[in-house]
Amino acid sequence: MTPPTTPQGRGRYPGYDVLDQVDHWDEATRRVVLARLDPPPIRFFDEDEARTLAAFCDTVMAQDSEPRIDVLAFVDEKLHEGRLDGFRYHDLPDDRDVWRIVARGLDEAARARDFSTFADALPAERRAICGDFAAGKLEGGAWEELNVSRAWEVVMRAVVQGFYSHPWAWNEMGFGGPAYPRGYAALGAGHKEHWEGDEAS
Amino acid sequence: MTATLTRFLKGAVRPPENDSAFLLDVHRRAVPGRDRMRRYDDSDEVDLVIVGCGAGGGVLAQRLARRGWRIVVIERGPFWDPDEDWVSDEAGSHGLYWTDNRIIGGEDPVELGKNNSGWGVGGSMVHFAGYTPRFHPSDFEVHARDGVGADWPISYWDLKPHFERVERELPVAGEFWPWGDPHGYPHGPHPLGGGAELAAKGAMKCGITMKVGPVAIVNGTFGNRPHCIYRGFCLEGCKVNAKASPLVTHVPDALEHGVEIRADSMASRVETDGSGRCTGVAYIHDGAERLQRAAAVAVAGYSIETPRLLLSSATPDHPHGLGNDEDQVGRYVMVQGAPQVAARFPELARMYKAPPPEISSEDFYETDERRGFVRGFSIQTVAPLPIEWAQHALADGHWGEAMREYGRDYNHWSTLGVLCELLPHADNRVTLADETDRFGLSVARLDYSQSGNDRANIAFAKDKLHEVWEEAGAEETLTIDRYAHLVGGCRMGFSAEDSVVDSDHRVWGVPNLFIADGSVMPTQSAANPALAIMALASRLADRMERIGAGAETRSPVGTSSLS
Repeated sequence: MTPPTTPQGRGRYPGYDVLDQVDHWDEATRRVVLARLDPPPIRFFDEDEARTLAAFCDTVMAQDSEPRIDVLAFVDEKLHEGRLDGFRYHDLPDDRDVWRIVARGLDEAARARDFSTFADALPAERRAICGDFAAGKLEGGAWEELNVSRAWEVVMRAVVQGFYSHPWAWNEMGFGGPAYPRGYAALGAGHKEHWEGDEAS
Repeated sequence: MTATLTRFLKGAVRPPENDSAFLLDVHRRAVPGRDRMRRYDDSDEVDLVIVGCGAGGGVLAQRLARRGWRIVVIERGPFWDPDEDWVSDEAGSHGLYWTDNRIIGGEDPVELGKNNSGWGVGGSMVHFAGYTPRFHPSDFEVHARDGVGADWPISYWDLKPHFERVERELPVAGEFWPWGDPHGYPHGPHPLGGGAELAAKGAMKCGITMKVGPVAIVNGTFGNRPHCIYRGFCLEGCKVNAKASPLVTHVPDALEHGVEIRADSMASRVETDGSGRCTGVAYIHDGAERLQRAAAVAVAGYSIETPRLLLSSATPDHPHGLGNDEDQVGRYVMVQGAPQVAARFPELARMYKAPPPEISSEDFYETDERRGFVRGFSIQTVAPLPIEWAQHALADGHWGEAMREYGRDYNHWSTLGVLCELLPHADNRVTLADETDRFGLSVARLDYSQSGNDRANIAFAKDKLHEVWEEAGAEETLTIDRYAHLVGGCRMGFSAEDSVVDSDHRVWGVPNLFIADGSVMPTQSAANPALAIMALASRLADRMERIGAGAETRSPVGTSSLS
């Protein structure tokens, strides 16, 4: 049996693999979750945008080594299919445009630090740029086209969806995952189902 | 039913005049009877067209169909088959939400979609957590008591029989309820998960009373609806049919009594004639605009879509939209301040198990002048799943390695939320934006800003949550600011100058046009609105029966007269 996968091999629940439970999931759920293990190719972003934004997704989710969850693939599919979230701030463009502007802005911020693109910047520099982005402190160029703090919320909303919808992330956190039709029986604090993982001590 | 009786008859009383739970199939989740659903022609003048098949529209259709009304319901979203369409998965549930574009603005914009906007048969109750508290008697007289907000043209006592009736239909499970008008529930309380156990401990140390429930989740035998299996995905649509939504509580019985539900149909306009009456609803289905004629129309599209439809239905006789001669349509939209505070404990709470709605307190519901603001809030457990949990960490300023660490620590956390009653303000409103949607219809814009009282309420409630967790022995906390629950936008009142509908939900100036959703609420309360929306629709059915479908002659019982 292959050991369970967690992003970057980090996790608190050694030996726990939520994917061992797929036979207990209903068919519709199984279809949706397993599709994430084999995401479609990038279709919404162009090659340069994809390179920049993949580096961004890895930086903000601290994915600095393999195995990585392909967060950008999730975002790309969502935007490609136009699955938007049902609202737009009056001072922001459409989410799809926000992502493209952010890609441009990140490269501009990297160039200001003497790197040719965001993806080429050193990890610490990338983290510093993301820190400025989170704090709403990026300005000039592309960043003048939108409300920077809200743009951070828009992109991060999709990033955490991409990361935490992946079963490898559930392994990392010891989440029980889909539980229909079986349900949960061990409900109180300190209790676990026989198939759930134990936290490393 | 009296409180005493509900204590002894737990689960034993079948709801009157609603066989929905018995019409469902115990092995398949889809509503039986769809294939033999009655069909009307567009050219048939039906007794009533309802726009929207959620908490309001679903109940109204079921009630009036039982009384022989010929009804067509126009629903924007799909007619769900939970076996196929719903999943035990957060991101995979995106299709449950109203995700057509809307613009948000104001000083404190309200994010729409997932958190507060449903579509499809069952409406947003499909993905509501499940809390179904009653409003308190004080909620109907906020202005008289506190000099703020508005008074309702009806009282708690007008709705009480409908609260009781709907509680039996859902059915609601919980402990005896000591707040507001004290009452019992038809089903007993559900067991507690780890998160709620920890919250209960802290509340007790703070001297706060918390009770289990009230949730619209089957806890016992109830027709062909199975018992809850505690899988924790209430907000992703209940694949079990244990949690209530109109899809399982009212639609089966409505179909059995001849209602036609036209899903995947976008209402574009309420048609009116020169006499000022409405004649039907124009809607778009499969790319073509059609018109369903009707003697009366009830709009139940909720606080964004209902005002949008009224504003979009402007004619030369109604240049500002229907019911809007006095610029009232779309105003006084409300949300509840709903910050959540999560707390870390040494033991594993695994808050993803059991229903997220478990225990709640209404100790702070009423005005207490010592707090420095009017009205109050309720406290409830919530239980974010992994994606929501990450949003929680993100909102507290964490990303990168810190977020990953909070993710790995997930099982140690428990979460409490509050629902703060925010007051109605005229400028918190829905208007039509300049841009159009895929149907060529103007999209809605919602502007929202808080008042000083609103901010004080939210700040106080947040402090209270921190206090509870401190007493419970939490090692660390994380806080997220958010909103919950839309209501208002077409409020009921006393005249066309102060409201959009009268106490019979009739739009001022269009006597056969009714509004049957949460948009009619003049104040928000600190309770989750689902039960009240259903109770209002249930009462409205009684009123409409007395008024008659499109009748020219008015019933003497109406509290308002036609001009």
